[in-house]
Parts: sequence; C-alpha cells; structure tokens
Amino acid sequence: MGSAALAQEPEPTAQVIAIPPLATVKITDTDAGTTWGLANQIANLISADLKLSSKFIFADIQKVRIPSYPEVTAPSYPQWRSVGAKLLLQGFVNARSDGRLTIGCYLYDVQAGRELARQGFAVSTGEWRRAAHKCADMAYQKVTANAPMFDSRIAYVAESGSEDAPVKRLAVMDFDGANHTWLTSGDSTVLTPKLSPGGDRIAYTSFGGGKLHVEIVELGSNGGRPLIPGSDETFGPAFSPDGNTVLFSMSNGGNVDLYAVAAGGGFPQRLTTSPSIETGASYSPDGKSIAFVSDRSGRPEIYVMNADGTNQRRVSFGPGDYGSPAWSPAGDKITFMRTQGPLSRIGVMGANGGDERLLTNGPNDAEPAWSPDGSRVIFQRFDAASRRTMLATVPAGGGEVRPVPTPQGGSDPSWSERQE
Amino acid sequence: MKCKSLLVAAFALATAATAANAQFRLPVIFPLGRSNAPPPAPPPGSLAPGAVTQGALVAAAGTDTVYFSANGATVDPTATATLAAQARWLLANPYVTVRLEGHGGPNDSRDYALAIGDRRANSVRDFLVLQGVAPQRITVMSWGKERPGKVLIGQSLVAAGPRVVTVVVPEPAPMPMPAPAPAR
Repeated sequence: MGSAALAQEPEPTAQVIAIPPLATVKITDTDAGTTWGLANQIANLISADLKLSSKFIFADIQKVRIPSYPEVTAPSYPQWRSVGAKLLLQGFVNARSDGRLTIGCYLYDVQAGRELARQGFAVSTGEWRRAAHKCADMAYQKVTANAPMFDSRIAYVAESGSEDAPVKRLAVMDFDGANHTWLTSGDSTVLTPKLSPGGDRIAYTSFGGGKLHVEIVELGSNGGRPLIPGSDETFGPAFSPDGNTVLFSMSNGGNVDLYAVAAGGGFPQRLTTSPSIETGASYSPDGKSIAFVSDRSGRPEIYVMNADGTNQRRVSFGPGDYGSPAWSPAGDKITFMRTQGPLSRIGVMGANGGDERLLTNGPNDAEPAWSPDGSRVIFQRFDAASRRTMLATVPAGGGEVRPVPTPQGGSDPSWSERQE
Repeated sequence: MKCKSLLVAAFALATAATAANAQFRLPVIFPLGRSNAPPPAPPPGSLAPGAVTQGALVAAAGTDTVYFSANGATVDPTATATLAAQARWLLANPYVTVRLEGHGGPNDSRDYALAIGDRRANSVRDFLVLQGVAPQRITVMSWGKERPGKVLIGQSLVAAGPRVVTVVVPEPAPMPMPAPAPAR
C-alpha cells in the first residue's frame, strides 16, 4: 500500500487469469505497426485495464508457450492449469485487405475446459485501443457482473495559467489518458462538463459572450451550441439517463431554480419554485428521481425529488455544507462533496440518505462523479505542493486515492462509457 | 471631500504664510476620515461622461467591493454604508452603467458558488434600485468561484471570498464599431 504502483491489491475472491500475447495469422505491416507488435500491445493493454480492478490475479506466463493462431479457438488447457490459471483471455489480430484490423478475443474457463465468452471487432488502425478495452470489459463483466468501464471517456476542464484567473478549457480523453483532445480554445472559461450517457455529447457551462450559459457539443464536431438561445443565466447541466433531456439551473432575478429541457432545445419545464437556491442536479439512473442542492434550510444540503419536481425531501443531515450530488449507476448511492470550514471532502450516502461515509480526507476535494461501473469515484483535488488542481479516483467503498494523469491541471470530471 | 478641502485649505494657508512670514510654523496635520485614503480623483460632478472610471467610483464610495457571510446574501450594515455611497455617486453620474459581479466562496461547490454569487449580485442590485438608481443602468453576473481574488489583511494575502464588486462599464465608443465575433 502507499506505493506508486497502480495495481490494486487483489481481493480474496480474485480469480487467477492468464493473458498471453494475441496471435496473428500472418505478420503484416499496418499503419499502427506490425500485427505481431499490435498483438503484444493489445494483450498488455488488456492486462493494464484489468489490473485497475481488484478482481484479478495475474498468472505468470513467462514459461508458457505463446498460443499459435489455431490454438486461439482450441486452447491447450493443461499448460494453463500448470500455471494455476482459472481464466484464460486470448485472441488474435489480423490485417484486413481494406486497411483495417480484425481483433478477436476469447475468454475460457481453464478448470472446466470451456469457452465463457468471445467478441470480435473490425476497427481502423487508429482505434485498436478501443478493441482492447472492449476485450478487457468482456472479462471484467463476466467476472464481476459489473457494468463495463474500460471503453470509456473522461471529460473534464483543463486548467492552466494563474490561480487568480485560470484558463479553463474543455478537454476529453480515454479513461486511461490516451487520445487526449481540447475542445475549446480557452478564450472563455468553461465549467462542469457532463458526458452524455452514450459518451458522444458533452453539456457544459460557458462564460462565452460574457454571459453564463449551457452549451452542448457533439464530439467530433466543431464548437458547441447554446442549449437555450438568449435565456437568462443558465448553468450546471446534467443529462437524463436516456440522453434526451438536460437538467440545468437558471437564475431569475437572484432566485436560482431547476429546469428540464429537451437536449435538442425547446421550452424549459420549471421543476422547483422555492425562493431559495436549487442547483447542482443529477438524475437517478432510472430517470425517475433527481438529486439536487438547496439552501432552503439556510445552508446548502442535498435533497431528492421526483423527476417532475414533486415529493422534495432532504437526505443530507451531517455537519457542514453539502454540494455536487451524483447518483450512482446502480441507483443505490449518491456521492457528494462536504465542506466544513476550510476542509472539503468526498463522500457517499444511500440514495435515501443515511449510511453516509467519507471517502477522502481532503483538504480540498470537490466535484465527484462515478466511473461507468460504479466501482470508483473520480473527483478534483487541489495539490498544495504544485498549487494545481488535479483529477484523482478513489474506490467507491473507500481505499487508496489514485491520481488521474492529465497534461495540465484538471477539474470538474465526468466519466462515461462509449456506445457509438 | 471635506477632508480633502481642509487639506487643500491648510496647504493654501501654509503657502501664503510662508511668503508672508518665514517664521510661521505649520501645525501637525492629521489625516481625517479613512486611514486608507482613496486615490485622488477629480470631483465626480465635474467629469465628462466618457471619462468616468472605476477609480472615480472607488474614490467616492471608498471601495467597489462589499462582502458577505458564507452562504449569506444579505447586505449587512458595513455593506449598506458602502452601497449607499455607491448609489449617491451613481445618482450624481447619471450616464454611468455598472455591472455587479457576484462571487461565491472558495469552498462552495461549483454550481452553488455560481448560484449564490448571482443571488448576492441581485441583492446588491435590489439595494441600489431602492436607493433610486435606474434598473436599466445595472447588469448582474456571477463569477461563481472562478475569480477567487486576494485581499491583504494585515500582512497576509487571503482569499477574498463571498463578495460583490461594482464594475463601471466603459462607455460605448461614440461611433458604432463592428462587434467582434463572440468568443467561445
């Protein structure tokens, strides 16, 4: 513990898995290197992904013969039993005549001697990492019954410049830091990006044009469009689980309330009417409830209501100020930040309140969000030594905080599985 | 203003006296009023509309910033005095428009900081309007916690925290200029 190594301590129920290099029918040159080189890189990436979970122990395969191409579909079980493997994840990578790659992976139960799952992908040479992440997801889902999490993206705000007036740009990357791109120029401050459930759009808050407003950008397109053109100040967007509705906060003469609008734009529906502040909304995964922040009690606390605004009830009762609730993918928990004096920390509570547990010690942790499978919480942390705000994750049940490397400072993370 | 004219009078007296009688000894001159004397600025009444600056507001009202308690948006007695002076200055300079920039606390959540900053800016706006300033001359915005700011308290710089800053909006250019494309 406490080491810089990223590998998670295996749990007692962890299973021993062998992940040999992939096979290739013929070593071929491609835009991404030879298929033999890719075969090794893909196996390494699958291992790196699965090492992030505590559910696997990795068999030592140094002394094992690397499977030949025919062996991909007919593994020699005795040799994998000899290294103590319970599971075997192997596959192939072939170059196609159209310049793309075919990548297949197979999961076997070594003890029972049978196939558990298989998946195949035709990908461009630039996207082989996605196929590797999908293979890792296949094994991860089979073993943990969790939702997949490795073919996922993190949207966040890249921070540079001075502390007093930081340059804040919208950025997106694969969850492991690959394929990093900036989506805005930094001319105007952007905040609170939220990836859509499919990972293909980002809703965020922008100061562009001198007025706070929510924008939506399609990944791969140029520039965002305002969610509601010409409205009052709007901020704090959140997608519904089906991606069709966006929650946001709108100010009306100093009274901030929650509204919902179709993601393509339209007439907003007002959800709260109290004279206090209502903001920071997050949908439950079934889309039937909304968690939000209100200061109707005199200080910001977390409340839950039905998606139409009825049945509002307070769920946070601990000391300090609460903020930024986010509903877990399984729907049973809400993560939040809690501030007491100068100390802000990340916590998790039951979706109806209670069972509150703080996951981090601060002193400046904020803006939590869930990993797609609900196993981890990603958040921002101010690092006093470098005087930068960085991203980090912590297991949702508590444990070691791990940094998420980004090229610059990072804040306001959002993490979503890709579906396109 | 009184303090300044006293000082000016004293100096005029001193100059005249020096010329008349080299033996005249100046009294010890104590500054009156605020210990942090605002930067000297011409009296607001004499200003052309285009020349009105942030400095003039600060000179007239003592400061352009009022502070709030954590989670609070109520104008307290100190803020009341400052804002009343700002309102008087705005009434004396009817061509000036201002932007009220509200700020949240450094440890607020991102969204709540934006919301409470907006609420603070609006409560300052309501106060100025009650003092007779036309609502059309005031715009409000919230910075949330995006411009934390620092103030010198004693020897140390500390986060400025919950506050509203009254910003004098520069007069538009007399000739309409082609508007630059809105930045994203």
